[in-house]
Amino acid sequence: MYRFIVAILLTAGILGAQDETAPQLPVSDPICSFFDSNMASRSRLLRTGGNAVKLSRETRAVAAQLAPPPGGGRTSGANNLSNSSNMIDQYLFTAMQSAGVQPADTTTDWEFVRRVYLDLTGRIPSPTAVLTFVNGTSATKRSDLVEQLLASTEYVDKWTMYFGDLYKNVSQNAQITTYPASVLAFYTYIKQSVATDKPYDQMAREIISATGPNSYDVTNGQMNFTVNGVVTGGPAQDIYDQQVANVADVFLGISHLNCLLCHNGQGHLTGLSLWGQQQTRYNAWGMAAFLSHTNTTSAAVSTTNSNRYWIVADTGTKNYQLNTLTGNRPARQPIGTVTTVPPTYILSGAQPAAGQNYRQALATMITGDPQFARATVNYFWAYFYGAGLVDPPDTFDPDRLDPDNPPAAATGYTLQPSNPRLLNALATQFIANKYDLKWLMRQIVNSQSYQLSAQYDGQWNDAWANLFARKNVRRLWAEELHDAITVSSQYVPTYTTMATYGPISYAMQFPEPLNTPDGANGHVDGWLNSFLRGNRDDQTRSQNGSILQALNLMNDSFVMTRTATGSPAGALLPGLIGQSNMALVNGLFLNVLSRYPTPTELSQALQDLSNPLTRNQQAQNLLWTLYNKVDFVFNY
Amino acid sequence: MIGNNQTKYTPSREAFFKRPHLSRRSFFQIGGAGLVGSWMALSPERAKACSIQTSSPVTMQNTAKNVIFILLAGAPSHVDTFDLKVLNGTTPAKFAPTVINGVNWPTGILPQLGQQLNNMVLVRSMQSHALVHSLGQTWTQIGRNPSAALGNIAPNIGSVCALELDKQRQPGQVFPAFLALNSASAVGNGYFPATYAPFRVVPSTSGISNTTNSLGQTQFNNLWSELHQIDDPLRLNSPLGQPVSDYDEFYTGANEMMYNSVVTKAFTYSSTDSVRYGNTSFGNACLVAKQVLASNQGTRFIQITLGSWDMHVDIYGTQNPKGNNLFTMCPQFDTGVGQMMTDLSASGLLEDTLIVMVGEFGRTVGPVTPALGRDHLLQQTVVFAGGGIKGGQVIGQTLPDGSNTAVFGWTPPGGQPQRYVRPEDVEATIYSAVGINWTTERCDDPLGRGFQYVPTTDPVQYGPINELWS
Repeated sequence: MYRFIVAILLTAGILGAQDETAPQLPVSDPICSFFDSNMASRSRLLRTGGNAVKLSRETRAVAAQLAPPPGGGRTSGANNLSNSSNMIDQYLFTAMQSAGVQPADTTTDWEFVRRVYLDLTGRIPSPTAVLTFVNGTSATKRSDLVEQLLASTEYVDKWTMYFGDLYKNVSQNAQITTYPASVLAFYTYIKQSVATDKPYDQMAREIISATGPNSYDVTNGQMNFTVNGVVTGGPAQDIYDQQVANVADVFLGISHLNCLLCHNGQGHLTGLSLWGQQQTRYNAWGMAAFLSHTNTTSAAVSTTNSNRYWIVADTGTKNYQLNTLTGNRPARQPIGTVTTVPPTYILSGAQPAAGQNYRQALATMITGDPQFARATVNYFWAYFYGAGLVDPPDTFDPDRLDPDNPPAAATGYTLQPSNPRLLNALATQFIANKYDLKWLMRQIVNSQSYQLSAQYDGQWNDAWANLFARKNVRRLWAEELHDAITVSSQYVPTYTTMATYGPISYAMQFPEPLNTPDGANGHVDGWLNSFLRGNRDDQTRSQNGSILQALNLMNDSFVMTRTATGSPAGALLPGLIGQSNMALVNGLFLNVLSRYPTPTELSQALQDLSNPLTRNQQAQNLLWTLYNKVDFVFNY
Repeated sequence: MIGNNQTKYTPSREAFFKRPHLSRRSFFQIGGAGLVGSWMALSPERAKACSIQTSSPVTMQNTAKNVIFILLAGAPSHVDTFDLKVLNGTTPAKFAPTVINGVNWPTGILPQLGQQLNNMVLVRSMQSHALVHSLGQTWTQIGRNPSAALGNIAPNIGSVCALELDKQRQPGQVFPAFLALNSASAVGNGYFPATYAPFRVVPSTSGISNTTNSLGQTQFNNLWSELHQIDDPLRLNSPLGQPVSDYDEFYTGANEMMYNSVVTKAFTYSSTDSVRYGNTSFGNACLVAKQVLASNQGTRFIQITLGSWDMHVDIYGTQNPKGNNLFTMCPQFDTGVGQMMTDLSASGLLEDTLIVMVGEFGRTVGPVTPALGRDHLLQQTVVFAGGGIKGGQVIGQTLPDGSNTAVFGWTPPGGQPQRYVRPEDVEATIYSAVGINWTTERCDDPLGRGFQYVPTTDPVQYGPINELWS
């Protein structure tokens, strides 16, 4: 069914363009022309009907939707400064103007549709989706598309993966092993939270304060966040320390707390964090003390099942004890007569009310702290814009955030965020909008600044990066690449992963990077790993490239079977090979790259296909080429 | 050398490994830290925090060019192997203990290594910090506490060596600097660029997977040239930005490894050689390691992992001789490493190549447990060989039962009191051997805290075991 629709649309796409020879095309600078000129001509062809092709009813229906103006043309980002009411734009464009920096042009519709599909859902758009969007005429078609994507199931898959990374939901790390069922429980919790638009402060509170047994209780997986803090080979304080370090990192963006749990900031964080250098280890212990009532233990499932599961229970009664000489951190010894540390929130000095559950108190304090909102919006900013307003996003310095109260000159410090007022405004509005993550994403992807092109006309200066004057490209996640090949090749594999989790076809649906999709050393697993999806432990997801990635895109059977017409996985070409060369080229580009070829690309492709004796092989070569094009591998 | 795989299209570009291929900006984008922000964060205040990066004046041994790091995962029993403690009624007669050069050696299970003792140094005063396998294995590979603040972004020792030694890469050398054989779960590059990640290969007679294309070389040449003809406007000096241009460089590096007779020669092997190395997966890894070093193509650090040493049950195979026990494990280990050392020695490469053999900890001593096995114990032995060290030594001495160190036998740095050898000291020893200043502190880590090659925040100061050379 899907292939049928695609073929129809492709037929529509080649109206009036039946000439098999390479057309005379203007020689243009590929850097500047990019897709524009060709886009315009292609849309014109679609609109005007053409000559020789019998139109099916469906084709006419699609063609009827297409009306001028074509979606291609870029407009200058600068021209849109004055008419954007988007809060982000007002701050960013003002900063660009102050710096005398011209922003990049606004994306074409072709650029935008692929970008926002990948960013919000992790999938490339189908040819139908691309053409429908590009040829849409509504003034609100971009924001309409955003709404459509935010409501999609693919959105849920993508952001479940994102939070799985952030919370490090994995069945094995350097410290402990949980079990797939446990990972699945946390996965299910995250997925349901994303699917139901759970306010993020609520989600944070639930995760920070969760109790109970895990593993075999699918409704209670969120306590695995606390289990992940287990440190072996040391006293309980090692565990409290790691658990609260994880909380500070994920929910406050303050990874330096981890440093402070070993030593005072003076010296260690001097010159790095104005806040951190004034903090003491005692203060950090005050944070860890919020975990001091929490016992994280494991037990065998039953006398006949030696698998162990974990239990998080607030059964302790003591504050943080200064009584260790051994463990994974320096000794914790009494300070004068002080032998225990009460829970004390490091950013305010607040303490739990009498009788209040410590972790619930911590959860309330954190989600009531503007720093929680700042850290959250900054994490998402870093994802969508390629760098945080504070970057790396977990290195917040709380004493360098207030633009109305900047660090004294004598300290040698300046404000930390690249745009402090924007960060505060976004955080404030995030709170006012009840920690609604979709509100945040709408603000971002509907902004003119997010919609700036990755290309920059004129000389780019790296020093402008913090102005976000152009789009920062990102290499697709491993899962996105897998799924882009799956969607475009129209060959949908089936993977069986873990018990009680049904077979799936899209890598974005894997609950964790282990146990997927075909065993620890399986073929597809290795392919995915080479694109640095990380292990949710000591290897974070990375955008780096590598030789292995190039080898795997050029030669691996995962790609080669999709480009070969003789294999079941080579499902795309058979539906197109009977078309004219022009239709074939357009169809391949549209399926794989979500756009039509540029004049130069088209000319080259048609030339390669011109010999009937090698045409079949050249078509496979072209498909291979598209899977290895950098604009397939990157979101631009 | 590179194969005639650029028939139609010959871009004039620097080969991937011949240049400072990743821009400064790319380098700082690691760790998922965003694209350019970390680079921008190298502001004066950041530089100030890094002012301590100046290395202390230290004397590096600098006698080795390459490292082969053999991780004995699962933790072998030291008292049955490198620190043999013969116990009547426990030690199997087939161990055939023999005194070689004054070392009591289990000739029955490690015959070839017994003949290499004059090239080896047994350091018997080592203790690990922890008794959890995954934690200990990570600790051994990164030379620091995985639980520490920088533990989860720390690179493998091999990645540090790769980054440092890649500066010496010669024109035409096309192999990755860090090769990991049979090491699917090797610790990776941490926050370092992917260039210095372990290049993971499971040796097979057909060489490295995906260095050939199923369509054949001629067709691949067409693909390659068609790709560049159609995509170079976006690949070269990319209008989409530096990361895209960088990505093209990885393609160039990949292409150099394809249909390359040098690659084929180093990574494929004959069944005759395989049999000589024991005809095991581990033996094949040792064989390939030897061949890769002989090819002199820029690989400087090779990790080989040999697992299944975690013998809690039936360690001597008395119940199940064909199960996993010392009599099934030791021959593949002994034959693989022994043949490798023989071949490296014959070609003169052993002098240039430091071999390190270490598990994540040791095992309990005395009579075996009721399960006829041995459990986890901190005390262990680390073995060094080649690389310009003075072989034929034993450093340190354990108690008669092997349960603890009796004599440390080495001088820790900085006039510290005598103490155990730790994984951090092994790390420092490796760095010193290949001429890397182990006190180096980088200022490019994502936390901005400063990343020390060998951590100094612990109360003790770690350093190389210089006694290996004296």
